Amino acid sequence: MVATVASGAVPAERDAALPAFAEAVEAHKAMVYSILWHFLRDRSLAEELAQDVFLELHRNWASMKSSQHILFWLRRVTSNRAIDCVRKRKARPETSLEETGEPTVLERVHDAFLSAYLERMVASLPEKQRIAIVLRYQEGMELEEIAEVLGIKAATVKTQVFRGLDLLRAKTARRLETHRHQP
Amino acid sequence: MNEFEEQLKQALSRREPPSDFAERVLAIARNQSRPAAAARLRLWFHRTRAWRLVPVLAALLMMTGGTVYEQHRRAARGEAVKEQLLVAMHIAGSSLHRAQHRIFDVETGEVTQ
Repeated sequence: MVATVASGAVPAERDAALPAFAEAVEAHKAMVYSILWHFLRDRSLAEELAQDVFLELHRNWASMKSSQHILFWLRRVTSNRAIDCVRKRKARPETSLEETGEPTVLERVHDAFLSAYLERMVASLPEKQRIAIVLRYQEGMELEEIAEVLGIKAATVKTQVFRGLDLLRAKTARRLETHRHQP
Repeated sequence: MNEFEEQLKQALSRREPPSDFAERVLAIARNQSRPAAAARLRLWFHRTRAWRLVPVLAALLMMTGGTVYEQHRRAARGEAVKEQLLVAMHIAGSSLHRAQHRIFDVETGEVTQ
């Protein structure tokens, strides 16, 4: 158990676990926020969902068994929240990778802007590829770990990551090609 | 990991949320920790070990209930007896009235004859 909280604790007892919970928020806030930011590319929404994720963790604090369990739980809940959010926002049509415009003039100026460009491209990938890519390259997770977090087969994750990478490579190659032909 | 993947990793590096993020989350979490009235009562019940008084309270409740029932039963019986007495008095009153009439009739009949 992470804190001195008995299983099935009532809210007042959760109060006693607040210091441990505060430590968990401090330790994982960047991870949770970044997954949501890279997935949604919407600062306020990422912040709002990250807050919800941590409050849900607080409500489920009594069932947390270890720091590893907290990390796994946060990654899983954050990924699910991000995917759910995009699915709920279907009214707002998702921009496909092909539809996503070429980088701005400013972005073409220097390779340092490649990061911003890639970030934008990742956010335009299909949901499943996007979350797999974010977990793989932001969190440095192994395919098996991603599979466990998302509750799918490792082979499926591998396919999603490879397809995502292919799309990103193709788009980036086009960008570099355009850049090379600029006077 | 190839060069492209390294670039991707760099692009997807972690970002810090706003500086007051943790503070806000903890403030809401603290509010969540405030027990509701029912939860507070439950907590008090366990902390004060009030559950130990449950058998005594149950016995008291049964005794009070028994007394109240007995009083109610007596009152109902008294009402029934009162009702019976009233009916008996009514019958007796009617009989007396009829007898008086008879006597009167007989007496007046004799006078007429």
